[in-house]
Amino acid sequence: MSDVGNKAILQLRNLRKSYPSSEGTPLEVIRLRQFQLGAGEQTALVGQSGSGKSTLLNLIAGILLPDEGEILVNGTNPTQLSEAARDRFRAANIGYVFQSFNLLQGFTALENVLLGQMFGSGNGGPGRAVQLLKNVGLEHRLHHKPRALSVGEQQRVAIARALVNAPPLVLADEPTGSLDSKNGAAVLELLRRICADGKHTLLLVTHDPQVMGKFEKVVRLEDLQ
Amino acid sequence: MNLAKIVIKNMRQRALATWLTGASVMLGVALAVAILLIKQGVQQRFEQGTLGYEMVVGAKGSPLQLVLNVVYNLDISPGNISWKLFEQLRNDKRVKLAVPFSVGDNYHGFRIVGTTDAFFKDFEFEPGRKPELAAGRIFNFNETALRAAFQEAAERANEREAKERGEEVKPAPESPSTPKERPFEAVVGSTTAQETGLAVGQTFIAAHGVQPSAEAKEHTENPWTVVGILRPTHTAVDRAIYINLDSFYHIEGHELRGPTAPEKPEEKDNDPDPGQVSSIVLKLRSPITAFGLYRELNDREDAMAAFPAAEIRKLFDIVGNIDRLLLAQAVLILVVAGVAIAVSIYNSMSERRREIAILRALGARRGTIFSIVLLEAVTICLFGAAAGLAGGHLVVALANGALYRASGFVIPAFHIQPLEWYVLGIAVILGALAGLGPAVGAYRTDVAKNLAPTS
Repeated sequence: MSDVGNKAILQLRNLRKSYPSSEGTPLEVIRLRQFQLGAGEQTALVGQSGSGKSTLLNLIAGILLPDEGEILVNGTNPTQLSEAARDRFRAANIGYVFQSFNLLQGFTALENVLLGQMFGSGNGGPGRAVQLLKNVGLEHRLHHKPRALSVGEQQRVAIARALVNAPPLVLADEPTGSLDSKNGAAVLELLRRICADGKHTLLLVTHDPQVMGKFEKVVRLEDLQ
Repeated sequence: MNLAKIVIKNMRQRALATWLTGASVMLGVALAVAILLIKQGVQQRFEQGTLGYEMVVGAKGSPLQLVLNVVYNLDISPGNISWKLFEQLRNDKRVKLAVPFSVGDNYHGFRIVGTTDAFFKDFEFEPGRKPELAAGRIFNFNETALRAAFQEAAERANEREAKERGEEVKPAPESPSTPKERPFEAVVGSTTAQETGLAVGQTFIAAHGVQPSAEAKEHTENPWTVVGILRPTHTAVDRAIYINLDSFYHIEGHELRGPTAPEKPEEKDNDPDPGQVSSIVLKLRSPITAFGLYRELNDREDAMAAFPAAEIRKLFDIVGNIDRLLLAQAVLILVVAGVAIAVSIYNSMSERRREIAILRALGARRGTIFSIVLLEAVTICLFGAAAGLAGGHLVVALANGALYRASGFVIPAFHIQPLEWYVLGIAVILGALAGLGPAVGAYRTDVAKNLAPTS
């Protein structure tokens, strides 16, 4: 972990994002001066409900485009890319873990991970997907569909999927929000360990004090304005 | 993992809708293919069947009825024409070959046709193809015997007239060819032999009429002996039994009655008509003179001529309209199937939006999402169409039984027509059109909105 923080994996500057509102005046959800994450860093981003945490993650992932400001992920500004290039960039550079897992119900655990690989680099082939599922303790659940898995297992599949393309940046949006405290703690521990082992930078959004307590670096969204 | 696997997974996930929409495509395609195959096959067979029959001559009536009766052994004979006309045509310089036919009886529904041996020796049912024997021999038709039969009939007619006038009648000397001595011989078409089990050496009894009937009188007095079996010709020849024309006139109800006495003695014909036939098939020396002969024959009061090829074309022009109606119905079924596919995919879009958003978050491009939805619709149509093609051929195979019983020929049910590739192409286009709307909807899916937790 000696090179942790040496290289900036994520840099945000003067970021603004508004949504049109019914009153006619745009509703500003993100106003952020500056934020930076180094390689291998693990940071918890906290904020009140509706403060724009998920919107920020979607901006970083290139799913949403900012009204103003600059986003650099691993040295590239995805907002400058065409939409197709941005999709490719996201697949290769960003792993996304969601609160509600977002697994495809018709696909097995292994197939869900392979889907992540399909749109990314594809490096490592199916062997990497299997290895990652083994790493999250699901070697006996490879061919089970999400409905046959517990919620904790589903989130572990989602973690394996997020990491299958070995992205430098992992975004996690309330990853323990749908889990009980025991499962939540286990999944969080797993996510942090795997990110640390793979030197993936982790930005985790939460409003759970227990989760915050696990992170050395906790950033409040309000403080970034 | 690849696009095809994703498409198949999506289809399996909504298996019931996939099967139902695929089945509707199958139904439309099967119907269209069956109609096309049957129409094409029947037309081809009918047109092929006319090749050897350049012109047919028969009693005044419907030319189509005459053609169906002579060429395809269908329908009933419009009536009889005189033997004198046959002789006249046989001696006409424009005529290369004239073969007489007389019909009116059947054996187990297979038509019995009285003719001469010219049918086997000189007649080509298709250019370069004469009826060939698979077993036995042809019957020996003897025109002298026929003339003797005519003579006999004439003498009997004279006796009748004399009796009516009250004159003493000397019994005619015993003919060397009394009915019992005449060779009642038959040559059997291949299908007839196969269906009835008739073999060389066996005898059979004819029933009156061209269609089998429980009330039909059987001609038990004159059994025929099978002397030959023909090879398959794949024409109506296969479903017939050919007998000596002279033996035909010894069937009860077909006897030659000799020339009819005129009501006024001064009208007595010095060259009376000795007998009658149902029809005459002509081969002409030149097509140039064909129309002249055609007009001459049609100007007569007692006969008419028809070109079988032209009559069959006319028939299919009429039938073609029915085909087009059926095809339009099949196309409508396909359109409804296309709409059903679109509706089915649209209905699943609410649950799909989340899946689409997940795929987009994983790095799938809009174009990829568009392709997945479009491919799904196309795949359903393609599988439905492929099943429909197979189903269409199966329908034709099943319909062949009825077609065979009605017409004597079958359509090659499993012969793939080039047209079928177009059907598959149309299915792809239909699928693409059906999938276009949902695919555009998928393309426009708001990723951020649909990724949000649903609870």
